Parts: sequence; structure tokens; C-alpha cells
Amino acid sequence: MAATLPRPRARGRWRILVRTPGRAFGVAIIACFTLMAIAGPYLYPANLPIDPGAIYAPPSLAHPLGTDFEGGDVLALIVTGARYVLLSAVIAAALIVALGTAVGVTAGYYRGSRDTALMRVTDLVLTIPHFPLLIVLATVWDFGSPYAMGLVLGIVGWGAVARAVRSQTLSLRERGFLEAARGLGLPGRHVILRELLPNVAPFVAMSLLLSVTAAIYAETGLFFLGVLPFDVSNWGVMLNTAVWDAGALTSPQALTYLLSPLVCILLLTLGIVLVLGAVDEWFNPRLRET
Amino acid sequence: MARPAPAVTPPASPNANVPAAVRVRDLTVAFATASGERPAVSHVSLDLPPGQITGLLGESGSGKSTLALALLNATPGRVTSGSVEIDGVGDVFALPAAELRRVRGAEIGYVFQASQNSLNPLKPVGKQLLDLGRSHGERDLRGLLRRARGLLEDVGLDSARVLSCYQHELSGGMRQRVGIVFALVLNAHVLILDEPTTALDMLSQASVLQIIRKVHAARRLTTLVISHDVGVIGELADRTAVMYAGRIVEEGPTGALLVGPRHPYTRALLAALPRITGDPELARPLTGRPPDLMSIPAAGCMFRARCPLAMPVCASTEPVTAEPAGAGPVTAEPAGAGPASAGSAATGPGGYRVACHAVPGERP
Amino acid sequence: MIEGRGLTRTFPARGGLLGRDPVRALRGVDFTIPDRGAVSFIGESGCGKTTLGRILCGLEDFDGGELIIDGQPLSRLRPRQRETYFRRIQMIHQDPYSALNPTRTVEGILGAPLALRARQRGENDGWVRRRRAELLELVGLDPGFALSRYPHMLSGGMRQRVVIARALTVDPEVLVADEAVSMIDVSLRLGILRLLRDLRERLGVSVLFITHDVATARYLGPGGELYVIYRGQVVEHGRTDTVIGAPVHPYTQCLLAAIPVLAGIEQPGPQRPVPLGALDERAEPPGCLFEPRCPFAAPGCRSERPVLGQVGETAQEHACLYPERRAVVPVSAG
Repeated sequence: MAATLPRPRARGRWRILVRTPGRAFGVAIIACFTLMAIAGPYLYPANLPIDPGAIYAPPSLAHPLGTDFEGGDVLALIVTGARYVLLSAVIAAALIVALGTAVGVTAGYYRGSRDTALMRVTDLVLTIPHFPLLIVLATVWDFGSPYAMGLVLGIVGWGAVARAVRSQTLSLRERGFLEAARGLGLPGRHVILRELLPNVAPFVAMSLLLSVTAAIYAETGLFFLGVLPFDVSNWGVMLNTAVWDAGALTSPQALTYLLSPLVCILLLTLGIVLVLGAVDEWFNPRLRET
Repeated sequence: MARPAPAVTPPASPNANVPAAVRVRDLTVAFATASGERPAVSHVSLDLPPGQITGLLGESGSGKSTLALALLNATPGRVTSGSVEIDGVGDVFALPAAELRRVRGAEIGYVFQASQNSLNPLKPVGKQLLDLGRSHGERDLRGLLRRARGLLEDVGLDSARVLSCYQHELSGGMRQRVGIVFALVLNAHVLILDEPTTALDMLSQASVLQIIRKVHAARRLTTLVISHDVGVIGELADRTAVMYAGRIVEEGPTGALLVGPRHPYTRALLAALPRITGDPELARPLTGRPPDLMSIPAAGCMFRARCPLAMPVCASTEPVTAEPAGAGPVTAEPAGAGPASAGSAATGPGGYRVACHAVPGERP
Repeated sequence: MIEGRGLTRTFPARGGLLGRDPVRALRGVDFTIPDRGAVSFIGESGCGKTTLGRILCGLEDFDGGELIIDGQPLSRLRPRQRETYFRRIQMIHQDPYSALNPTRTVEGILGAPLALRARQRGENDGWVRRRRAELLELVGLDPGFALSRYPHMLSGGMRQRVVIARALTVDPEVLVADEAVSMIDVSLRLGILRLLRDLRERLGVSVLFITHDVATARYLGPGGELYVIYRGQVVEHGRTDTVIGAPVHPYTQCLLAAIPVLAGIEQPGPQRPVPLGALDERAEPPGCLFEPRCPFAAPGCRSERPVLGQVGETAQEHACLYPERRAVVPVSAG
């Protein structure tokens, strides 16, 4: 027979990530920062050296990105600060997506009283404004550690994902193959995990990536506003110091100190966004071939 | 039919009374795939005789919708060869963008499938009609609405109600009729209907077919009906062309084609058709898989893998049909016996052509 | 054997800003599906035939009447017990693409229900593999070809065969085919219809065939029965060829007259009645439900609602006050 179709290949999946130049660039950025997060603190001593003679120094060979308010190397601060940012963001995103998907799928698939109850809770979480809540929370609890930060951001932010996953579940529910699965007597747990979830996966994966960016902004914002104590050195703190202490918005003196964390945040977000396109292809067999 | 047909609103512009012919010559439309460009329509030549209904019979993967869109120069693929000439318009592929926009709607009307919900779900029908008029620079919008109301009544709808309805408030049959009204409201004289009755039940289908016939006759249109349903083609079309894997494999007067199909695909298709007449036990299913863009062979006849008459030459040489000649001599014979000849006999309006290496009509 | 007695289903009114009246989808429908039988329901969109099919598969509830499966009335059972009965009836959906999980291969699609079955019967993995290949061959697919493919790599006809194979994994007694061939290419429809016919013969399953294309109902094999449904009521019933050849109810006659004629091969029937006007779901005429649209309506039709009754000595039933045989269906030419 002349008509044959290509056999599906498992290895081809990884190629999706680098198929276009944009995606490859995004993957490179993410890889770079991840490396920074993992290895960064090992490259520098626990207490970064300060040089009182070179406060807010312009970029030079010794200090490629200049120095901060006490003469510390900005590049060192960036590299060591990456771990906090990424760790807390990933924890937050994982929590948001895990909670949101579990709630959304359960509510959408079983409907009835479970649906109503879960959606009431979701609405509650959605109604509470995140940022003010975080600020208020900061007055009673110092969640400066990356784990605590991730936990708080995660618990506060899963509402939207739950709503969206529920509506996806509702529409998938009516599709023939889910009805058929029920009719064949397949247990609810199997149907949700093996039939439903793979179809919701593209959305979940995208939410994961976008939640990472949202978490980064949230925590950077919190530190920038000075709401949380300074005992952690991270990019948000750097921004705070650069703007409020060094007057970086009005004088060119501490420009690199201001720009470095800003650019890093933007680069990281860019990297994630560039990779978003790969997510759909990864999960959708139809897009994978040809 | 039991009911007398009400009179149809005549079209407004004077020259619309002269039916226009459409000539497709050597049209090829290719789509980009990971393994290079593949043709969805390959070297197709077809005439739409003026004032007649031509049927294009094809299944999924035949390229019929691509061909239909190409007549408007609106296909997402790339036109790599050929021309589409319409009387009074010229070659559709040579038109500048502004003129092309005008032609779509004012000269050629296109009716989408009912199931495609081609109406805007957020606007009532009347507003969409006005949008249509404005985008064509129609200054007399009142006149447009008057024509629309007339057309809606012609197709059997309550115009006052329908104009204020949203798309989801109309049934499938009603949406299809609204689609016909949209296609004709700017006084097009070529009408293309893509699967006009798919997704409609028998009764809706019958009334839509009746309306198409009525409107075609009253406005003296040149109509192309595309369908996979042999019944629809049988009821409407004066001439029929059969498409397979982007090529026209057989073409001729509908009655002759259905009674005596010559191409093995047409024969097999008719033999595999569930029909209301005839002995069910005599039907024969088709073997093999229908073609799709990625799997069509690069050389030779597209149908050979499923053809009971396949010969060695079928694997190497693609059979071609004669060119349809608009004003050529009328020939009743198929395009030559033995290896099909390219352009050996011109066929006119009564003529017949087949693309097959096997001798048509002489094999049992 | 499956019997439906007086099945009724009304969809409740949807209140709120977009209020809708209740829709009486089924008004007391009686039917029987014999073992190995082929029963077809025909009617236009919205006549209730799809609802009936779904009730039979347990996907929809019924408000009144009774569904009796192998002598067991279902309303007397608890939901859990009902499920085991409904498992004997499997649905073949209209859209073969959405009926298959796009993220799983055929191997997984068939494997899941087979694994469940294996656990119930105490069988091992080898049995699952064998059975999978068996079923694919039964529906006319080559296991070597199909197992590793995703649904979008198969043609419509092949997908529908996979759907049928999946339905067969639980050894059902009845297959409910709801417009099972409408979305498949014309050239492939006969294959599926023949498959259903063969399954009746080889496995002894019955087929309930819901369609608006009457012609397809003729290809399900011998002994077919036809029910014509209008607005939730059976208006005519009998053997398939009798109802098609000599319909007695005006609605049946209108349906059959609407079938397109293949120019040259067929001739239109001598009479081609057409319903007057469109279907109005809201209207509740006091007499015959079809009277507002009936081209042969008589004054008496407005006051009395006909019930299903027999035509003479034959097994044909109809619900018309003034029945008359009319030859409407196209006939072979020449």
C-alpha cells in the first residue's frame, strides 16, 4: 500500500524544545539561571567581601557590574541571589498548579455537592486580593525563607487555575471518550488520571510556567516595597536599596546596581515565555508529527 | 413538490442577467509540510458552464474545499500553477487586492457548511449584513437590507425575526439559508456552496436543495455545489466532476455519470453507496485507505493502490484527462481508448472525460 | 432482549434570564430490541431518538415508564446494580474522533478496559494482548498497523472501528450506534455497516441504529425493524423493508419523500409529500402532534390524538387517524 504514515517516536519530544531559535534561546536562558541557582552560592564565600573604598563604583574588570552601597560586587550578588528567586518561584508554582488542578478536576468531573463546595472555597481564595494579603501577613510572619515564601504564594494564588481547569474538565467531560470510559466501567480515579489529565496537561504546564513568572514578580515586589526584612540578599532587596537608598532613579551613580536585577528578572521571564510555545507541542501528539 | 414556489426577488443590477462562465485551467495548490510542498489540488482543469449547476463530488482528502476556496483566491495554500477565469472579472489570481475583495461577494458568493458556524456569534444577523455592505463600500445600505429581506423571504425565512437573531438562535437549516442570503445579497452571479446540507437532517436537506435550485434558476446563476453526498449531487447538478486526491478523475453530465461511471473510483464509490433502492447485498465496500496530503504517491495514478484494474503503467505515469474547451465541438466519447491522451479531444458542454489508463467501458 | 415500555423524558425548564419551556423529549415510547436484532430509529433532529439511545446506555435518566433488560425492570434496581446492566449496552458515538482519547494510542485505548476485564476474570497480561489483537482483527483492522497509532493518524472509518472494538471489550449484548456513520466518508460507510451486520451474526449482539439517513438502515442485515419517531412519539413501526416500501403514516411518507434521487439510477416516487412549515418544539396541539405540518390533515386530526395501533394483519403499527399507503420512496430507474 502506498499510503503509510510515520510511526510515532518517543525521542522526538526533546527536539521540540529547540525546534525554533526563539525556543532554543529561551531554554538557554532558563538553563543559565538554573545553573546559577544551583551552583551560585558555592562559587562565592558565605559572606560576600565588601570594599568600602569602592562604593557604587562603575563597571570594571574587578567588578563587571559595578558595586553596591557597601562596595560588594554586584555580579556576586546577582549570582547568589538567583537561588532564592528561582527556588521560591518554583515552589509557589508547583503548589499553585497542584492545588488548582486537583480542585478543578475534582469539581469538574464529579460535579454535584463536591463541585459546589470546592467552588465556594475557590471563590474565597479568588476574592481575597493577593498583594494586600501578603503585606498584612508579612507584619505577623516573616516568610523571608524561600520555602515559606513559596508556600505563602502558592496557597494564595491557586484560585484562577482551579477555575480554568474546572471549565476545561467540564467541556472535556462531554466528549465521547470520557463518556465511553464511564460506560465501560472504568473507575473514576483511572478516568481522571489516565484519560482526563493528559488532555488538561497542556494548560496545566503553561500555568506552571506562567505561575513561575507571576511568583517572581510577586516576591520581588514584596522585597522592593520593603515589606519583608532584609536579612536575605536577593534581587528584590537589591532593587529596594538601589531605589530608596542610592537614589538610583534620580542619579546615574548606582545605575548598574539598579539595572542588574531588573534585567535578570526580565530575562528570566522572557526565557519562560519563549518556551511556552513548546508546551502545546509537547503534550499534543497531533502537533508533534510532520 | 406539493407546495407552489413563491416568486423570487429579481437581482438589482442589469448585467446580472447574463450568466457568467468560470474556467479553471491547470490549477495546482500546494501546502507546506515538514517534507516539502505537497499539492492538495494538482493540475485541475474544470469548466463551470454559464447558468448551470456543476457538482464536485469528493470525499475528505480529495481537495474539493481547497479547489473551491481557490476560485476566490482565498486558499491558505500556495497556488503554484494555473488560472481561474471568470467572465466579467478576469483571472482571479491576477487581480489587485482591492478588486479581489470586491469580487468576493459582489461577483462570487461563497456559502460555507452549516456546521462551520461561519456567522459571527456576537452580532445579530442584520448587523453582520450591514458590516458586509460597508466593507464592500456599499453606500445604499437601506437598499441592501431591502434586498436581504427579499432574499430571506425567498429562502423561506421570516425576515424580520431572522435579522435580529443571533447565530445560536437559528437551527442548522436556517443558518444554511442565511448563508445563502449572505452569499447573494451583493448580487453575485457565481455561487459556490461547500457541503450545503451536511449536518442537516433529511427534511431540512430537502428544503435547502429546493431553495438552491429555485434561487439558481431565478437569478440565472452559475453554481458550483461541492459535496461528498452523491444524493445531493444527483438532485442538483447538471454536470458532475469527481475528485480524488486532488485530481479530477471523471467529469460529465450527471445522469450519464451515475448510470455509467467509467473511472474505477467512481464505479467503486457508487457500488459502495448505501442507497434506498437496490439490493443491499449487492453493495461492495471499498478497499484500502482514503488518500491524504502526506500519503499520496509522488508518481503514477493516485488510485492504483485501491484499483481493481491497476496495470504496470499506472505506477509510473499519471493519467490525464482532456482539457475542457468552453466553446469547442461537442464530443460524446471519452478521452480516447488505450493510454489516455493529453488534450487529444476537446470536450464541450455535453462531453465527458475520464482520467484512467485502463480502457473505460470495455472492462466488465 | 431489551424492552422499553412507555418511556418518558421531559427536560426541565431552564429558568433565569434565558428562560426556556420544558421540552418533552419522549412521550411514552414502547419498543423491543430482540436478541441479535437490528432495530433502527429514524426521525428528524430533535425528535428524541438520540435521547432514547442515551437512556438505553444509562447516560440519561428517564422520568416515566420502564426499561426492562433481560426481564429485569431497571427502576427496581439501585444505581450500582443498574450500572452492571448498562454495561451490557455500549454506545458508538457519531464523532469517531472525539470518541477516542487523542493523547493515547490504540494500544492504550483498548488496553484500559481490557485490563479491567482481565482483573475481573483473573486473567493475565498475555490474555489482554491476545484479546486486543483478536478484537482488532474482528473489526477489520491490522493489529500491527493500528496498535501504535494515535487516533489522528487513522481515517474516520478506522477510528470508528477502534470505537467498536473498544465497545466489544466488555462483551456487550447491544451496540447503540447513534449516527455512527454520518461523519465518515461515504465510501467507508458500507464497511462499518457490514461490520455491524457481521457482529450480529458472529457475536450475537443486537444493534440499535439511530439515524436520519434511512438508506443506511437497510444494510444492517436481515430481520431489521424500523421505528419512526416524531416529537418523542413512535408514529410508525414495522419491518424495515415494509415501512420503507409501503409507509402508512404521513410523517414517514414525508421523510422518505425527502430522500434525494440519484438522477439516472433512480426515479422519484409518484408522490412526494412535504411537511407544511418547520418543527415547533413548543407547540402542544390538542390532537395529533403532526397535524400542524401534515399535508393530509383532516378536521378530525385536531381533536383526537392517535395512538400506536396495528395495520390489519401485519406487524406494522402506526399512529394515524387516516392512514393511507403511499409509494413515496425513489425507485430504481429502468
